[in-house]
Amino acid sequence: MRKLALLAPLLLFGCGGSEAPPPETDTTTDDAVTLEETRFVDLLPTYDSVPLPEGLEWVTNNEDEVFASPEAKRGGTFNTYMLGFPLTLRMVGPDSNGGFAGYLRANNSVGLVAIHPNTLNFIPMLATHWAFDDDGKTVYYRLRPEATWSDGMPITADDFMYTIDFMRSEHIVDPWYNNHYTNNIVAVRKHDDHTISVEGSTPKPREEILYEYGFGPTPRHFHKLDENWVVDYNWRAAPGPGPYRISHVEKGQYVTFDRVDDWWGNDVKYLANRFNPDEVRITVIRDMNVAWEYFMRGELDTHPVIMPNFWHEKAVGEEFDNGYIQKIKFYTDTPQPSAGFWLNQNDPLLADHNIRLGLAHSMNIERLLTTLLRGDYERLKMHHEGYWDYTNPNIEPRPFDLDKADEYFAAAGFTTRGPDGIRVRDGQRLAFSVVYGTQEHTPRFVLLREEARKAGVELNLQLMDASAYFKQILEKQHQIASMAWSTSLTPRFWEHYHSDNAKVTQTNNITATNNPELDQLITEYEDATDKPTRVRLAHEIQQIIHDMSQFIPTWKVPYTREANWRWVRLPEWYGTRTTDVLFDFMSTANSTGLLWIDEDIKAETLAAREEGVAFDPVTITDETWRLE
Amino acid sequence: MKLRPQTIKQWRRFRSIRRGYWSLLIIGALLALTLVAELLVNSRAIVVRYDGSYYFPTYSAFMPGRQFGLDYDYETNYRELAASFAEQREAAEANGTESPGNWLILPPVPYNPFETDFLDDAFPPYAPSISTQHYLGTDVAGRDILARLVYGFRLAMAFAVILLLCNYVVGIAVGCAMGFWGGAFDLVFQRLIEIWSNVPFLYVIMIVASVIVPNFWTLIGIMVVFGWMAMTWYMRTSTYKEKAREYVDAARALGASSPRIVFRHILPNTISIIVTFIPFSVATGVTALTALDYLGFGLPPPTPSWGELLAQGTANLQSPWIVTSVVVAMTLVLLMVAYVGEAIREAFDPKQFTFYT
Repeated sequence: MRKLALLAPLLLFGCGGSEAPPPETDTTTDDAVTLEETRFVDLLPTYDSVPLPEGLEWVTNNEDEVFASPEAKRGGTFNTYMLGFPLTLRMVGPDSNGGFAGYLRANNSVGLVAIHPNTLNFIPMLATHWAFDDDGKTVYYRLRPEATWSDGMPITADDFMYTIDFMRSEHIVDPWYNNHYTNNIVAVRKHDDHTISVEGSTPKPREEILYEYGFGPTPRHFHKLDENWVVDYNWRAAPGPGPYRISHVEKGQYVTFDRVDDWWGNDVKYLANRFNPDEVRITVIRDMNVAWEYFMRGELDTHPVIMPNFWHEKAVGEEFDNGYIQKIKFYTDTPQPSAGFWLNQNDPLLADHNIRLGLAHSMNIERLLTTLLRGDYERLKMHHEGYWDYTNPNIEPRPFDLDKADEYFAAAGFTTRGPDGIRVRDGQRLAFSVVYGTQEHTPRFVLLREEARKAGVELNLQLMDASAYFKQILEKQHQIASMAWSTSLTPRFWEHYHSDNAKVTQTNNITATNNPELDQLITEYEDATDKPTRVRLAHEIQQIIHDMSQFIPTWKVPYTREANWRWVRLPEWYGTRTTDVLFDFMSTANSTGLLWIDEDIKAETLAAREEGVAFDPVTITDETWRLE
Repeated sequence: MKLRPQTIKQWRRFRSIRRGYWSLLIIGALLALTLVAELLVNSRAIVVRYDGSYYFPTYSAFMPGRQFGLDYDYETNYRELAASFAEQREAAEANGTESPGNWLILPPVPYNPFETDFLDDAFPPYAPSISTQHYLGTDVAGRDILARLVYGFRLAMAFAVILLLCNYVVGIAVGCAMGFWGGAFDLVFQRLIEIWSNVPFLYVIMIVASVIVPNFWTLIGIMVVFGWMAMTWYMRTSTYKEKAREYVDAARALGASSPRIVFRHILPNTISIIVTFIPFSVATGVTALTALDYLGFGLPPPTPSWGELLAQGTANLQSPWIVTSVVVAMTLVLLMVAYVGEAIREAFDPKQFTFYT
């Protein structure tokens, strides 16, 4: 019985999901991190200026509408949660890529310019004006002179120059940044204290130069770069250009952010009336279902309800019927992650075009969407959907069609079925392994597996641990991989489909696509710098990819669904065209930070709840940005 | 075969312990039933009569829908077939023509553990219902819970028994050898086992599961590699004890070889130790597999498994029939196994008046 005893604590522990063991927590103040000090460098690094070229055409954009509400109120505390405690407060270096880094980056990512979330034009942030060089890869910025770090030090051109030194330093122990700031951003120059220029590696269209070659300043008075940097700065909160600063860290338990009172962005057109709560408290709750209970008690202000079981089954009851908690479904118009099945063409079976087409017709995605996913998710049409002009509007995904599947499989020689109903060709069964890394997806693949049997295909599900799963896919050891690529501003064909990336491992061409015609078009696409040409090429490339059928698109979620206590307010237009998360106090997801806390409504709601007084229930569906 | 009086006495003693005896009968009956589970819980019909011929799909190759006049090439959905036969009969009655005489018999639970069943007006998990014949409801993917429980039980018991056999063969062999030879061999193996026992086997399984997708046999393999030690200690001490008895010396004096002494004299006299451990090992095996499946390191989906049901149940407490079914089933089985174990231990106990409460 010894084994039984050994398993019992693990069983309990397993309820918390796949999180790492909780760090030892200690409520004494020893663990609280001292955060006041922000200057560790006495002699600041300075940089020489180079003259500015003649004839630059400076542009800015203050014409687009603001997207924050003028009615927003500053103040209050916003309570949210994270599933694990961060391993560091650094933004680069070892362990810096956890979930908490999203908050740090958001607060630091008030960059030089930003994309307007509705018009998609560029708008000024830290830079007031920008200009382009004729070489197609250099851009000039004029910095906002009043901008300061959260500790009050001014942000100058030297802080941008320092970013390059910092990011290229071996002391930060972060090869990705070392590489990015060496090979992608080639040089940064200072022209005067408030003018800089950035040179990228390759010529690009203008909007992509701003996007790809944009970067942020680094506080040179804070970072003392030496071989101890990674350890010394693990729990030091860096001053940032953003509206918040970390005010308290209780290790293993919570982190609080304070609003910078006299933030330089308060009066900037596109930053005003955003980032409204005075304090934000992010508590560690290691399980989403537990966090939901905290939310229902009012200890968290908002909670996402995108998943069907949350929206339909959990987000119901007294608090919703009495209008204390509201629900909102908000459609967006933004690039969609490419979720689906990636077929490895290195596999002898999947190298056969007919088999790939047959497989596409064997996947009963329609049934999956209408039954298990309750019609909440929609069918993804292709890789790179939702990239506005760049997305080919004529591509439709292949439907579940047993006749067509039969036709294609027969053309590949799989005409007969074995005793278990699976097609065979010379003793070889039409069976594939499908690797995936998310346990929650198992019911979905179970359904597709049963449906595919009707077409005589066997899908063997292989749930793998996340790291082993990525390793297998990047080494192209898989047959069929279920995964979703994240999005970018414009389609990235080279990394996914160029033959340069087909022959080597550890690349994103996980379908091992090797097509000379496609290579030619991708090269033209990469070299083109005017948008119409790129759009035309993108459409042609997408058509070829669709015809090759090495990717079977599955689902997309073109909206966000969230629940909030009624004192958390949003503008009357709720969100923006590209918003990922409505109730986001920073810009962790695409330039929002539009919410505010209304203390009066909070007092009213809590009193009403005490007395059992009901408000009207509120469920909002906003289709302003819905496509089709 | 003639039983020894000792054995008969032990069997009588065992039978006199009612709850252990009945538990053994019930578990035996359940195991016997799961051997023919395909006839009781299955989506394939037991027998189909179509166009004058009889078909027995349960254990045969798959039969496409076209074979029974349906318009598809994939496996017949026999529940739909039953409905269409019923329609044929009604149509025949309405028209006054002769019925084609097609009929079929479905198993009492007409679902297999893999198929996802969806109703038109609701989404899974579905609550238990007589009318849909989901007697214990469905899980979140719309699969019948009873079917998954039954096939999960069969798999878990098979796992436990095979694991037990492997563990005992290795454990008894090593333990006997240690006790019989003693000396340096014993000393070295003791230390080896002590070291080996301290390898945390769950972590090993997690590491292995992250590299390969474990299947039934790799799981057995890993668990045997880290589980054979428990039996060695008991076998070692009892072999030492028996070896020192006069009958062993007598056998040796008569010229019996070492293997003969071990297999003919010592082993039969240690059998009571082995037998008393068996039920508890079965319980351990079932629990271990369930725990691994619960944690996601066990058998790959969509294998029917109690651990997977348990994980689903705890994540979906608003559908209490999932967690209730599996917890009740598991409690009952483990309880009965424990009763059997208790009764065996008592039956083999030389002291007549020991009470286990």
